[in-house]
Amino acid sequence: MFYGLALPFAALTILFGLWPILLSIQVSFTQSATALRASPTYVGLANYHTVLADPVFLASLAHTLEYTLLAVVVNVGLALAYALLLDSPYLARGRAFFKLAVFLPVVTPDVAGYVVWRWLYDQSFGAVNAALKGLGLPLFGGIAAPQTAMLAVLLAELWHHCGFYVVIFLANLAVCERALSEAAAIDGAGPWQRLRYVILPQLRPAIAINTIYALIQFLKTFSVVVVMTKGGPADATNFVSYYAWQLFDTAQYGQATAMATLLFGIVLVVSLLAYQGAERGRA
Amino acid sequence: MRRAVAMGCAGLVSLVFLYPYLWMLLGAFRTTRDILRHPLALWPEQFDLQAFAAIAELSGVSLLRVTMNSLGITLASTALAIVITASGAYALTRRPKLLAFRLLRGGFLVTMMYPAMLLVIPVYLVMYRLGLLGGTIGIVLFLALGPVQFFLFEQFFRTIPAEVIEAATIDGASELTILWRVVMPMATPVVATVGIITFLLNWAQWFPVLVISTTPDTYTLPVALLNLNGELGTNFQAIMALAVVTTLPPAVVFLLAQRSVMGGMAEGAVKG
Repeated sequence: MFYGLALPFAALTILFGLWPILLSIQVSFTQSATALRASPTYVGLANYHTVLADPVFLASLAHTLEYTLLAVVVNVGLALAYALLLDSPYLARGRAFFKLAVFLPVVTPDVAGYVVWRWLYDQSFGAVNAALKGLGLPLFGGIAAPQTAMLAVLLAELWHHCGFYVVIFLANLAVCERALSEAAAIDGAGPWQRLRYVILPQLRPAIAINTIYALIQFLKTFSVVVVMTKGGPADATNFVSYYAWQLFDTAQYGQATAMATLLFGIVLVVSLLAYQGAERGRA
Repeated sequence: MRRAVAMGCAGLVSLVFLYPYLWMLLGAFRTTRDILRHPLALWPEQFDLQAFAAIAELSGVSLLRVTMNSLGITLASTALAIVITASGAYALTRRPKLLAFRLLRGGFLVTMMYPAMLLVIPVYLVMYRLGLLGGTIGIVLFLALGPVQFFLFEQFFRTIPAEVIEAATIDGASELTILWRVVMPMATPVVATVGIITFLLNWAQWFPVLVISTTPDTYTLPVALLNLNGELGTNFQAIMALAVVTTLPPAVVFLLAQRSVMGGMAEGAVKG
């Protein structure tokens, strides 16, 4: 009886989840030119050797890790600051609106959001440089310059994702013990001390969830690159998932799936480590 | 003083987050010449509607058709997601110790961790073998599986007291009757939340649609927008107009159901 109820769910999980993953891993051990044939030529770990010796991949991996670290810190940090602001007693009114304003981008289709951001950075159409010029500030290279492209992508992704992290923090803040904070204030603890020793320890669950989510999210960064930069300029935003997709698009199936498997391994290890770290923090 | 600073900060952040929407709307209704002259104007010089005429046809497919694809694929995959995930999560919650179910749950979690954009590559091969490439059925099936939906249902089913189900069993009700007559009526709020969230998430999906499609006939709005944005000799005004059409439906749905969307997404994440 219960098998029957679970059958459609199991069918979809296997057909569009487990089978493709296994297929992908299988293809990573075959020669690209024969990968799609009925009996492909197996080449062992050759694709992995090629990928790991490819300077473009190594640079791409370094960029991905650098970007992930930066994006996790910026997103979770700013979301925490904003959630604390919305939760503070100094904010007299408008909480619902301020929350809504940062969450709307989360449910806005990412393609639409990133298309708008791409043009916001534009040198002739864009509002960003027009505003900077109006204020007499130096212009922002945005996605056109290799030095600023990663930052430009990061800001667009911050706009799209941050509201989600804010809502998680607010849900956690709603169940915090207010009396503790008040008692600390009466005992003479300043606002920073209260934050450090009273509020942050209570926010540990939300910090853990947001960090794990953000890690997985930004390691897999893809849409924003497709829409805004196509990996450029000068490979500055050529993150692993995009590079793997490009290889697949040019029929280098073996290397592309080898890269996919490596990235999957990294995501798995990183999230397991983060999960364990969170569990240990709780104990 | 502190109150003024707090209001000022929150107001400024909100403005920064909302400004892209205003700019997109203005971009859709202002002529290119006006935009180049005053990129920061806060109101259109004149309401210019030619962009909407320019996007009436996209890569040989009418905007109406693309919008219908978006609606059809999103609604169908949402309905399917509710039925399949609800019954799947229910079975897994009622018999959590079955080895097959534990393996299934684990497999599902691993699947959800695999980078979606890389999963879609082999999914292309699977769709090809199943003969679903180029049709909407493949897209709908692929979009019917998601982690938030599963966790929301699972969490709800776990809160149902065992006595309720035992009582129904003693009354002689079959398991299917219990699910449809006893459990699902209790789950109406969860079904609504899952439905709205799935609608929003699937409306935004573009990569699976792009990969499984073989012609622009099955494109949805985000895919058509991506396509238009990538064309040479870009018509900025038309891009903004299509971005408005793509953004508007989920924005309206979200504003109408903001509480359950934000609450449900947070809850689904906390569980995962």
